[in-house]
Amino acid sequence: MAKTKIIIDYTKCGDGVGVDPRQCGRCLRACDPAVFLCHETLGVSQDPVDPQIWRITAVWLDLCNHCIKCVHECPQSAITVI
Amino acid sequence: MKHGAGGKWYLNARNYSDQLAKDLDLESYLTEQWSNFETVFIRKIMGISSIGLGYKLRMPIIGRVIRWNAEKMIHSESKNRNPFRADGHFGQVLPLEDAKLILSNLAAEPIIENYCMCRLMQRGIKEVCCINFGVLSGVIEKLPRFIPENTKLRLDREEAVARLEKHSRAGRVSTVWFQPVPYVCAICSCETPQCGGLRLRNDFGLMSVYKGEYVIRLDPDRCQGCKLCVSMCQFGALRHSPSLKRVLVDNTKCFGCGLCRHACNFDALQLVPREEVPGLKGMY
Repeated sequence: MAKTKIIIDYTKCGDGVGVDPRQCGRCLRACDPAVFLCHETLGVSQDPVDPQIWRITAVWLDLCNHCIKCVHECPQSAITVI
Repeated sequence: MKHGAGGKWYLNARNYSDQLAKDLDLESYLTEQWSNFETVFIRKIMGISSIGLGYKLRMPIIGRVIRWNAEKMIHSESKNRNPFRADGHFGQVLPLEDAKLILSNLAAEPIIENYCMCRLMQRGIKEVCCINFGVLSGVIEKLPRFIPENTKLRLDREEAVARLEKHSRAGRVSTVWFQPVPYVCAICSCETPQCGGLRLRNDFGLMSVYKGEYVIRLDPDRCQGCKLCVSMCQFGALRHSPSLKRVLVDNTKCFGCGLCRHACNFDALQLVPREEVPGLKGMY
């Protein structure tokens, strides 16, 4: 079976540019197998104690069951599942 | 007493001592670990992150090397442990009784209850659910995202036990954690699949969480087949049989948390020591 790919458009969500995923988080809760992870964006300088720039990454890709609830749930239409 | 050696390592008072934390310089380790916990699964370790871990573990040869390396990290007792990778951080499932015993007698002060980090990062839910103690309390108190709003952070022993009991009855598995081995500083109330530790164990077979020292035994004469216990099990160890009109237990899947007992109105479920059950001895 082909490997699942989940692409998130970071111009629409996270990285301090789009919607703050900590405020939204709808994909996190819509996903039954909890494939997504909300984490501080790496590679930008942030306060180590209280980082403010966050993004969503689909981590557990092989556990995705292709229900596409995240795609429908995302208010920014930032998620693509292949 | 070593973990998985058939004894209760979590009842050794030395594993909770402030002196141990000081000797291992754990304040700086835990500060680094907790400041960066959300990124543990996306950081590249020797060029490989946990993204798509299941696919990577299924690769021939390379998958076995990754598994071997991950286990080595999880159980690392080396002096140069890397807090960014949470080296030496693993735990074990506990029945409520043992978890209460730890909070009442062994846990080092101060005891705090903060937002469960796993649920925060994998569900975006702020739930005051994670009981930490000893040197870790002081570390978490400096990190604003884990500090609960509108409720107090520090608990006395009675309050901590009462909170734990509440979480357990709600259906959350009590677990005790090395952070890092051999220092014990957390009792979590975990929910699969949004628990990082249970995820690695249940979905990828990594020994990030050991099964408990007990296993459930069902009294077939007492079981009325009401199925209430089945919904409590997070490990798929219980199933209702319509033809036998009772619940069946899969001993090999049981983690010995004893949550199913909370649902039983007929006293049909009891925990028995794992070591006394033939075929389950040493199966953690």
